[in-house]
Amino acid sequence: MGLLAQGIVSGVLVGGLYALMSLGISLSWGALKIINLAHFAFILLSAYLVYQLTVSFGLDPLLTILIILPLFFLVGVLMQLFFHLARVDEFKSLIVSFGLLIIFQSLIQTTWSADFRRIGSALNPYETESFFIGSVAFPLAQLMAFVSALLIAGAMYLLFTRTYFGKAVRAVAQDPEMARAFGVDPRRVAVILSGLSTAFSALAGVFIAIGQTLFPGLAVGWFGIVFSVVILGGLGNALGAVVAGVIIGVAAGVATILWGPLAAPLVTFLILIGALLFRPEGLLTTRSVA
Amino acid sequence: MRQHRRWSYMAVITTLALIAAACGDGEGGATSTLAPGTTGAPQTTEAETDTETTAATGEPIRIGGTLALTGVFAATAAIHQATGEVFVERLNESGGLLGRPVEWVLLDDESTPDLAAAAYERLITEDEVDLVIGPYGTGNITAAMAVAQRYGYVFPHHTASLTYAYNYECHFSSWSTGLHPNITNPNLLYDAIESSGTPPETIGFVVNEFPGTMFISYGQPDTDEGGAVAEAEKRGWEVVLDVTFPIATSDWGPIAAQIKDADPDFLFIAGLGLDAPNIINAMQTIDYQPAGMFVQWPAPGPLLGTEGADGIMSVTIFEEHPPFTDDPEAVEVAADISQALADSGVPYTKVETQAAASWTAWEYLQQAAEGAGSLDQEAMCNWLIENGADTLFHGNIEFFPDQQNYYEDLSKIKQVQDGDWWVVYPSEFAAPDRSVIYSP
Repeated sequence: MGLLAQGIVSGVLVGGLYALMSLGISLSWGALKIINLAHFAFILLSAYLVYQLTVSFGLDPLLTILIILPLFFLVGVLMQLFFHLARVDEFKSLIVSFGLLIIFQSLIQTTWSADFRRIGSALNPYETESFFIGSVAFPLAQLMAFVSALLIAGAMYLLFTRTYFGKAVRAVAQDPEMARAFGVDPRRVAVILSGLSTAFSALAGVFIAIGQTLFPGLAVGWFGIVFSVVILGGLGNALGAVVAGVIIGVAAGVATILWGPLAAPLVTFLILIGALLFRPEGLLTTRSVA
Repeated sequence: MRQHRRWSYMAVITTLALIAAACGDGEGGATSTLAPGTTGAPQTTEAETDTETTAATGEPIRIGGTLALTGVFAATAAIHQATGEVFVERLNESGGLLGRPVEWVLLDDESTPDLAAAAYERLITEDEVDLVIGPYGTGNITAAMAVAQRYGYVFPHHTASLTYAYNYECHFSSWSTGLHPNITNPNLLYDAIESSGTPPETIGFVVNEFPGTMFISYGQPDTDEGGAVAEAEKRGWEVVLDVTFPIATSDWGPIAAQIKDADPDFLFIAGLGLDAPNIINAMQTIDYQPAGMFVQWPAPGPLLGTEGADGIMSVTIFEEHPPFTDDPEAVEVAADISQALADSGVPYTKVETQAAASWTAWEYLQQAAEGAGSLDQEAMCNWLIENGADTLFHGNIEFFPDQQNYYEDLSKIKQVQDGDWWVVYPSEFAAPDRSVIYSP
């Protein structure tokens, strides 16, 4: 029983990290109609910058958020301006952002080499810290990622439902021309949302740097999980992303305990196929932005 | 709208699948439509044909090969690149090969077997290289070997793990694991553990589904030969855990929980690369540490900075301490390789299995050509089989054709002690004042 409980807790918490990694892509795809694969590069680049700031200046990895988030917000803004300039639509965005992903990966390999990088235990107090309820462990780094995902999802829900900006985002997502007719500036909305999406991806990178060993090829392994979460959660739906991340995390964790680790990806992708067949609009459709 | 979105999802997923395939997905062998020509211009390392060169003259001898310069194996391939560059540079400085300068035509196989095969096809048929040297990674080596065999090229290679699968009469492995590492490697480890005087009563296995680690753990598929698991049982150790995990595992928590639940006296991690640090970290977060651990083929650097990794064991063929460094030339070469690794930005610069195997493969090629006195592939192949090779890191090697050109298992057991790797078994190869530390 303790084993199963640990598997479930682990799945819930890692689901938070999956959600955090998926938020940027989900918002970008749902609200801006940009399928932005560059977010994988932003997560990775953010993780490397956290590593470098921590190792070079001895900063607490969590404190780097103060530098990382504004920086990547700016990157997101500039990227969206470029997309406007290049008239990138939904399907062109796949190609363009894949190119950006490759460019950033190459830059990362050139800068940090292909070898593995990890923040040493002396500089990373969160790496293996946990607190316990009975015999069940709650790893601190994963818990922080989970709480961050929840807070962001809640904030985005309030932003989209209770503010003028949120209404503007939804209007732009549904019909940009009509939104413009009602005085909404779609470009301004898109630029701000792109900045936010990129900052969320960067935040995921902070937790990746705290908990994992980095190498330039790391991002390729995230594709399956992240797109499963995005599609299951519903495009542009931050709360849906958290729910989907938890479902996938728990399903994989329980499958690992019950049937072995090889069953985890099978269960994950069965869930994805089920979602595509029966809920292609996502789990929490009524709250979707698009 | 709903229908449109469904097709939109399908299109995106299909595109992503193609992208993931193009990026490579590990040793299993992704399919890609990219031609090797798209991997960029070949990189070459050539003789400085100025006054510093002693005697190398004439047309360069072109040696073709690929490495995983990008993709998931790039971290380890960087070691092979640095080692190869040092070898070629030193070879050219000492007069070249058969009196001619040597040029290494190096392509990027992007960590993908089918790209490696296509690149070797190009190197042999279009670039018409004189010699070839193997790539890095079991899948890539296996794929490239088939091409070398088709054209009859001598094929030295470094760290391919599926020994039973390589029956090409002109392949020469520089990874001295012997033909049956699934038997010899575990028994070497188990002997090392028993040398501590307190053997375990229980043992647990966590096995990466990568073919090489499956082979080590369970033996050759479709045979009853067995591997590490069966060999442990033969010693009367109870196997209390035996789980296989996917190559692309991202959540290690449930696996760590299973290990804690089984609580083995000794944990055998049949993993590679970052598997061990990831598992150890996950175990640390649930406040668990087995009494002893072994990992098959780890990336050496990351484990040293991992909390809870002290005492973990692994296999090696060379470490930078006596008695391996008793030969001054080995020290000199190791220093050159370390410097090359540092220059290329690699954080862990000590020479160990990867660099030593890489260097040895180059030695095979050099000695085959010099021994045969020509670049005739058949003559080179026959010369190596008849004469073996005199190597810097392994000493004299004799290839046994009845064992698919393999020779004895020269592996040693190393252990992390006081924050660094030390060979601890067999005792004649152990670092001074070092021995196996294990107490269940």
